[in-house]
Amino acid sequence: MKFIRNKRSREAERWFKQEAREQKTRYRKIVAEQDALAPKRDKWVDAFLERIQTRGFNVHADMLRKIPKEQIPKKPKRRFKVVF
Amino acid sequence: MARPHIEPYVETSVAWKRMTLPGFPKGMRYKMLSFDTDTGACSMKVLFEPGFNLPPGMSYSEMEMFVLSGSLTVGDATHGPGYYFCVPAGVAMPAIVAPRGAQVLMFYNYGEPSFVESDSDHPNAERHRYSAVNAYENLSWTSTNFFPATASGCLVKVLKFDERSQAFTFLYCMTPNFWQDNISYHDCAEESYHIWGTSWMMQFGNLPTGGYFWRPPYINHGAFACKYGTLALGRTDSQLYNHFHFNPWTTPEENLERAASRIQHWKPELYNWVATGDHNHPVDFEYPGDHGHSHGDVPHHHGDQNLAHSHAGRARKVRRKK
Repeated sequence: MKFIRNKRSREAERWFKQEAREQKTRYRKIVAEQDALAPKRDKWVDAFLERIQTRGFNVHADMLRKIPKEQIPKKPKRRFKVVF
Repeated sequence: MARPHIEPYVETSVAWKRMTLPGFPKGMRYKMLSFDTDTGACSMKVLFEPGFNLPPGMSYSEMEMFVLSGSLTVGDATHGPGYYFCVPAGVAMPAIVAPRGAQVLMFYNYGEPSFVESDSDHPNAERHRYSAVNAYENLSWTSTNFFPATASGCLVKVLKFDERSQAFTFLYCMTPNFWQDNISYHDCAEESYHIWGTSWMMQFGNLPTGGYFWRPPYINHGAFACKYGTLALGRTDSQLYNHFHFNPWTTPEENLERAASRIQHWKPELYNWVATGDHNHPVDFEYPGDHGHSHGDVPHHHGDQNLAHSHAGRARKVRRKK
């Protein structure tokens, strides 16, 4: 038994709504912070794509496979989102 | 929406709030880490002030608790950092006292935090599922047993494992100079709280001590690195499989489709059976009464019972205003 049905009190309803509101604010702040990180992230991505060609991509545990240049993905035109 | 993607979130500079929900005594403060806006299920960091005293009682939701600092006296026994409890819904715990205060992580898995004073279990409680362990002292680190696996230097201690969904709660650590050059996503939601240390992910940057994430399924994360080591508490809501790849720009929808396509290759017989019409509501013979889908009006049958039927047709009562 993971949950026992019960009636939510008025105080609990109020608390519930307040937490949902606050979480929306937290979420928006996170999205804004992550958008601001975009220039750094682009550099990290470039470095990653370089490393997997030279040192290798972790296929499983420490098993590395070098990725040929022609298999390296190209950045699509759509916006690069990391928070969904 | 259940829980949104909260990543990264660092709670260290966030103020404590007083717990005002009915039933909880004074002396309990919390920081909300993530919150399910459908059910009220949530993950919180909680501060029990010195002298906090919770009388014997139960919660309506399954609850997990991990002691970060300080100590808790539960009944006659005192437990310090690293102690983990999984308390099923309705199981009555003895009085919990924090003589000098304590900080804990609390996870209410299926509903909002609730507390009802009681000396005895609820009639529906499953006490045999209660578990408690000192994770720091009484469990050993093991390598991750998921294949494909994380790179060496990522170790786990499993605290809770749900045999049906394969959801699990675990301590994990990354040793100094850990790195892993791939991008991962999972079919499950994943959650983590950094007890100590900073790790880095290519999408989100550094996650320091006090850092937290709740990540819904199919969201890219990685590459990974950790310079000085990290200790963290992790949880999933179902089986964790590492879908590794190296395309930084895929979307959760593309990742989901790739995961579904791969099942064709991993389990072709099962995939074909499920994909065939009328086989999309299979029954687990160990759980015959729980067929795990919402009851629409689409006729279907369950498992090997070849009778098609529908669950629709129950008229909803409409309350009319007088």
